[in-house]
Amino acid sequence: MVTWEYPPRVVGGIARHCEGLAKALSNQDHEVHMFTLDFPGAPDYEETEKIRIYRTRSEVGHPNFLTWVLLFNHFIEKRIAGTSRLVDFDVIHVHDWLTAPAGISFKHFGGKPLVFTAHSTENGRSGLHIPDSFTIDGFEWWSTYEANKIIVTSGSMKGEVCGHFNLPGSKVEIIPNAIDPHAYEGSVDKGAVRARFGIQPHEKLILCVGRLVPQKGIEYLIHAVPIVARRRPETKFIIAGDGWYRDHLEWLANTTGHRWRIAFTGFIPDWDLVALTKSADVLVVPSIYEPFGIVALEGMAAGVPVVASQVGGLTEFIEHDRTGVLVYSRNPESIAWGIDHVFSNPGHAEWLVKNAQEVVRKTYSWEAVAKRTAKVYKEVTEQQQKT
Amino acid sequence: MSFTPPPAVPEEFRVLSMMHNIGAITPERSLTADELAQWTGTDASTVKAYLQKLREGGYVELVDISGTEKYHVTRVGIMKVLTLYS
Repeated sequence: MVTWEYPPRVVGGIARHCEGLAKALSNQDHEVHMFTLDFPGAPDYEETEKIRIYRTRSEVGHPNFLTWVLLFNHFIEKRIAGTSRLVDFDVIHVHDWLTAPAGISFKHFGGKPLVFTAHSTENGRSGLHIPDSFTIDGFEWWSTYEANKIIVTSGSMKGEVCGHFNLPGSKVEIIPNAIDPHAYEGSVDKGAVRARFGIQPHEKLILCVGRLVPQKGIEYLIHAVPIVARRRPETKFIIAGDGWYRDHLEWLANTTGHRWRIAFTGFIPDWDLVALTKSADVLVVPSIYEPFGIVALEGMAAGVPVVASQVGGLTEFIEHDRTGVLVYSRNPESIAWGIDHVFSNPGHAEWLVKNAQEVVRKTYSWEAVAKRTAKVYKEVTEQQQKT
Repeated sequence: MSFTPPPAVPEEFRVLSMMHNIGAITPERSLTADELAQWTGTDASTVKAYLQKLREGGYVELVDISGTEKYHVTRVGIMKVLTLYS
C-alpha cells in the first residue's frame, strides 16, 4: 500500500482509512507493507500490529508543490524497488494521486496489478482553474487509466470519477469508509471535558470537526451562528481542526457579533477529539464537497446527533430524520434549522443516535471493508495471471 | 446575506508550505531566514515577518544551531501544510 499520509502524519481521512484498512487486512492474515513519507519523530521502518511501515525521506526538496511530489515519489519508488527484491508483492494499492507515480512505476517494473483508491478529485476539491489543478487532474486521470481497478468510498464518488474521467462503471468498485467502534466505547466525564473547553453545564455545545478549507463549508456554519443564537441563546460553537483557511474563518467569526460563542481549537489529538465529540450536543458537518464524510460516521459512533449537508457520500449513510438530520449545503438558515430540530425534541434526538449507532455497528466495520478490498485484490491478481 | 469570495492562500502560509516542500521539517534540516528567502524567492525582511507570525501560531520553530538562528516547520505546521493539498 502506498500513501502520502499515515499516522502519525495525519491530516484528513486518508491516514485513518489506510490505518484501519491495513490493520483489518493484517488481522485477516494478509501481509501488508505500507510505504509512506517521513514524519519528525517517527521511525523510518517499524512493524506495528504486523504491518510493515516504511517511512521515506525525500532527500531532495523543491519549493514548488508538484516538483516536490514528483521528487518524493522517486524516493518512495526506490524504496519499493529495494523491498520488492526481498518480498514478492501480489498487488500494489495506491491512495490518491499523490503517490500514484510510484505505484504506476511498480506496476510496470514489478509486473503486478495496481489498485487505485480515489478518495476525492481535484475537480471536486477546488475546481480546475489554475495550472497546478490541471496537472493534478491529469495525474488523477492517468492513475485511473493505469489502475487495474479503482476503489471509491461512495456512489457519489463513483458517479464523479466515471463521469469526469470517462471510466466504465465495471472498473470502479464502491467500498465505503469505516471506523473502529472500540475507539468510541467507554464513558467520558462530559462535564469535565466540556469545562476544559469552556462550556458551562447549562450551555449547549455545537461541534464542528474538520480541516479548515473551503470545501468543508465551515463559513456557512459561522453564518448560521447568529440565527441559532436568536433561537437558542445558551449555545456555544467549537470548531476543531486547522488549515490554510483558518485566518479567514476567524475573521468571519469576528463579524458575526457572536465571536465569544465561537472557539477555534486548532488540531486536537485523537483521544481528546473522541472525548470532545462524545461530550457535544450536536455535531455539524456543513461540507459543500464530501466524497464520503468520515467525521459524520465518527459522530454517529460517538453517540452524538449529526446535522450534515445533503451532499456526496453523506447522503448515502445518513438517512434524514432516522439516523441524522440532512440540511441544504451552503445554506445557513437550513443549518440553523437542523440544529434547532435536534434541540427541540431531545427524545427524537436520542432515537436518531440509537439508530445511527446501530447502522455504524452493522455496516461500517473495517473487517467488512477489508474483506471487500481483499476480494478486489484477488480479482485483479487473477486477471493478471490470465493475461 | 452577502458572502465574501474566498481569499487567496495567505502569503505566510505559502512560505510555510515551501519550507515543508524543501524539507525544513526537523532541527537538523532547519534553515536560516536568509536561506529561506533565497529558496522562496522572497526578500529577507518579508520572510522574517512571516516567520514571526508562523512562530506565534506554533507552525514554525526557531532553533539555535552553533550560534546561528535557523527555522524549521513543526509537526503542527506539517499538518497545516497538508490541508492545502488533501
